[in-house]
Amino acid sequence: MEGLNLNQKDDTPGTPEEPPKITYAREKLLEEARRSLAAEGQHDRKGISIVVIGHVDAGKSTLMGRLLYESGRLDEKTRRANEHGSSKAGKSSFSWAWGLDGTTEERERGITMDIAQQSLTTPHRQITVLDAPGHKDFIPNMISGASQADCALLVVDSATGEFEAGFDRGGQTREHLLLVRSLGVSQVIVAINKLDQVEWSRARYEEICALLRPFLVQTGFHPSKTKFVPVGAMQGVNLAAREGDDAKELNEWYSGPTLVDLLDILEAPTRDITAPLRIPVSNVFKSQGSGIAVAGRLCGGVVQVGERLRVLPGDESGTVKSIEIEDSSVPWAAAGSNAVLYLTGIDPVNVSIGSVLCTPADLVPLTTRFTARIIVFDIQVPITAGASVELYHHSRDVPATTVKLISTIDRASGKVIKSNPRVLTKGTSAEVQIALRPTGSTNIARGIPLESFAVNKDMGRILIRRGGETIAAGVVLDIFS
Amino acid sequence: MKLVSRHIDKHGAGHVTLRPEDDEDMWHLYNLIQKGDSVRAPAVRRVQSVTSTGSTESHRVRLNLTLDVIKVEFSASGAPGAAAQDAAADQTGSSSATATTATLHISGPVTSENQHVRLGAYHTLDIEANRDVRIEKADGWDSIAISRVEEAIVPGRGAEVGAVVCGEGTAAFCLLSQHMTLVTHRISMPIPRKSASSGASQHEKGLQKFYATLYDSFVRHIPFGNVGLKAIVIASPGWVRDAVFDHLVSESSRRGDKQLHKALKEKVIKVHVSSAHVHSLVEVLKSPEIATQLKETKFAREGIVLDKHVFFKMLGSDEMRAWYGPDHVCLAADRGAIGVLLISDDLFRASDPTTRKKYVAVVEAVQQKGGEVVIFSSMHESGQQLNQLTGIAAILTFPLDIEVVEAEEREEEERKKLEAEEKEAGNEYHT
Ligand SMILES: Nc1nc2c(ncn2[C@@H]2O[C@H](COP(=O)(O)OP(=O)(O)OP(=O)(O)O)[C@@H](O)[C@H]2O)c(=O)[nH]1
Ligand SMILES: [Mg+2]
Repeated sequence: MEGLNLNQKDDTPGTPEEPPKITYAREKLLEEARRSLAAEGQHDRKGISIVVIGHVDAGKSTLMGRLLYESGRLDEKTRRANEHGSSKAGKSSFSWAWGLDGTTEERERGITMDIAQQSLTTPHRQITVLDAPGHKDFIPNMISGASQADCALLVVDSATGEFEAGFDRGGQTREHLLLVRSLGVSQVIVAINKLDQVEWSRARYEEICALLRPFLVQTGFHPSKTKFVPVGAMQGVNLAAREGDDAKELNEWYSGPTLVDLLDILEAPTRDITAPLRIPVSNVFKSQGSGIAVAGRLCGGVVQVGERLRVLPGDESGTVKSIEIEDSSVPWAAAGSNAVLYLTGIDPVNVSIGSVLCTPADLVPLTTRFTARIIVFDIQVPITAGASVELYHHSRDVPATTVKLISTIDRASGKVIKSNPRVLTKGTSAEVQIALRPTGSTNIARGIPLESFAVNKDMGRILIRRGGETIAAGVVLDIFS
Repeated sequence: MKLVSRHIDKHGAGHVTLRPEDDEDMWHLYNLIQKGDSVRAPAVRRVQSVTSTGSTESHRVRLNLTLDVIKVEFSASGAPGAAAQDAAADQTGSSSATATTATLHISGPVTSENQHVRLGAYHTLDIEANRDVRIEKADGWDSIAISRVEEAIVPGRGAEVGAVVCGEGTAAFCLLSQHMTLVTHRISMPIPRKSASSGASQHEKGLQKFYATLYDSFVRHIPFGNVGLKAIVIASPGWVRDAVFDHLVSESSRRGDKQLHKALKEKVIKVHVSSAHVHSLVEVLKSPEIATQLKETKFAREGIVLDKHVFFKMLGSDEMRAWYGPDHVCLAADRGAIGVLLISDDLFRASDPTTRKKYVAVVEAVQQKGGEVVIFSSMHESGQQLNQLTGIAAILTFPLDIEVVEAEEREEEERKKLEAEEKEAGNEYHT
């Protein structure tokens, strides 16, 4: 850290693009960030990010599209264009969803395939919204979104049989909740949607709440951090307000908060700005000028314009030309922010989704083998030593093997129950050793950036999937470098 | 592979001469030839001679050499690892294509007298296609080696199935033959995701470029016109396979490539898999569309036996009937409990003669009891997965509790030890 003396004298002149100057010395920058984060919410809004999750077709995108419109983030012109476009495509019921489902494929199929990031403001919060796909096949993208979020908004379809389909074994309501909890999300708002389809039945609403509550507790969500809200996304009932004819039936029995009321009181998590800078890259695209744009959430530290960043894996570095948060240009960004960094002096080939940006003085380690403490999900086929799995870490997934089953562990006491177990069955806690499988023709696995949970929580969480099913979640204990 | 001659007596002693013809045959030879064997094959040596004017001249001579094998090395550039993951792609987005030719090197001291090579000189034979190789086994030909020869000489060869496992921006081109899966080419192109600031246009553009690259690679790496190629699988999660197939079809008709167009219509099977990694090939092979089409092929059987249908399914439903690991499986074999034995060719190849004998005995014991033995090829994805699972597993005909069995074994050992001690004590008494 000491060696990283970020002041203007150190800035090497003469590069063609003329790199932007660094404004703050590191200590000054930290002070500035600290002050500004502490003041957050007093005069301006607290920043927070939320991932929208739930079974396919629950109405996640419709809800967000409608909410963006009501909060003025989606203008009338775009709304009309979407209405026109979707009805021309014979998909008029997806008109609101088109606000987030932007690709041709998504629109043609009426299915979200990748995360859509938008921003939203409530009276006291500046919210980054990550609309996740509900379809099973796109869980990798959903995981990428969930690992960039502080909170979750679960949308469930209340229509007869539909809630059940999503909540049954194999439904995404369950898997998504497990995934976000395993990725560190502890606050969840449950929006019970499509109540118009069940005549705004209070009994149905309560039935669904009652079914979800025990599962949420069992999954590790504290009841005080779990909120329920009845909504009708399509008609915009109880999103920002509960007015007009459409809301009449709901108003007869519900007088609680609207969705926006609940969003407005979400707690902002603490941000570790003194930790080494880590930005797992979730998207790379061409910027308008020269250079590239890199999107990601800061998992620690602060970054400012003018700083030189290293990309791992690889030897490439680039200079931060500008930083954008929620579409506005800012001089620096701190842990917890979802930022877009414009980099210059860098070969785009060497930056990809899954790379991690850090400061040259404090590099994230690369590893192909590590031990982890995992919890095995509700699986039918037990995990064996040598099982072929996929390892998920932020926006990256790689083939891996559970090379060693070290021990099973009592979850409450942390004591070893059995060393070298033959298999791991559902519900067990265990310590395992995981190795990446070789990729490409070299037969040597390439290291990925990973840190132990003790060093950086956000960099130390992993998920394990097999055959399209999440089989375990865990934290990294030790890496072998 | 052609069988040129075979002289094995009833004790297993003797030699076999084979003529390899393709990559798969090299793989067979690699599995047949072991340390200690005597191998005779053509070699090229550089020899120096002194001319009448006194200057030295160096020239190459072709000759047959017999070696006492010390080392056998095999390499197939397209061995199945897993999908190209990182954006190691170059500017054009695709890694350079190298024709996959497996190589087999055999080294050891020369044991045959030769006018050009000194006896005992160390030499490395570079096994070539269409040249005879004679193998004589130090320990004789065991049943595994003999059945390997028999499998290898079955006529009909080459890739039977072509497969493209793809995701958005990634594709792996694979050729599956009886004993090997070769990943002949990979594409990994970065495709920007949709974003609020850049919209969806960069995403769409990236996809179009990807489809175009994939078309070119398909034409180059999938021998779609070969009659031996029974099927071409396009596998992916989501709907990428539909988009890819549609692009191939429309592009082939736009370019007027009738042969490709016809092959696409007749041979392509689209299969859903849960991930775009090459290891999804295991899912491809167990999918009903493929399983029926390829049921006689060895690799389909391997995939099915290992996967959900048999071993892993049993592990889920009746853990006490699915065992793995050499020690455990040998215990199960001792008790005559094995219904299906899953064993990797790796174990026969990598082990010392004593261990190999042990595995051969296990195989023979299972077969004698009417059990099924499936020898997995490490050159297939299913075989690699079995290798990770220690290389050996078994499905038992009746449930056995491993802990009980191990306890019984320990007791038995104790008892034997005691017996021996008593006997000794008894002997002492008598003398
Ligand atoms: N009746 C009724 N239909 C709704 C409501 N909200 C959404 N829908 C419909 O549900 C369907 C799915 O909506 P989407 O918003 O695409 O659902 P999603 O959860 O985003 O789906 P994926 O992202 O693909 O998982 C569309 O046809 C919507 O019109 C609602 O409040 N009432
Ligand atoms: Mg959606």
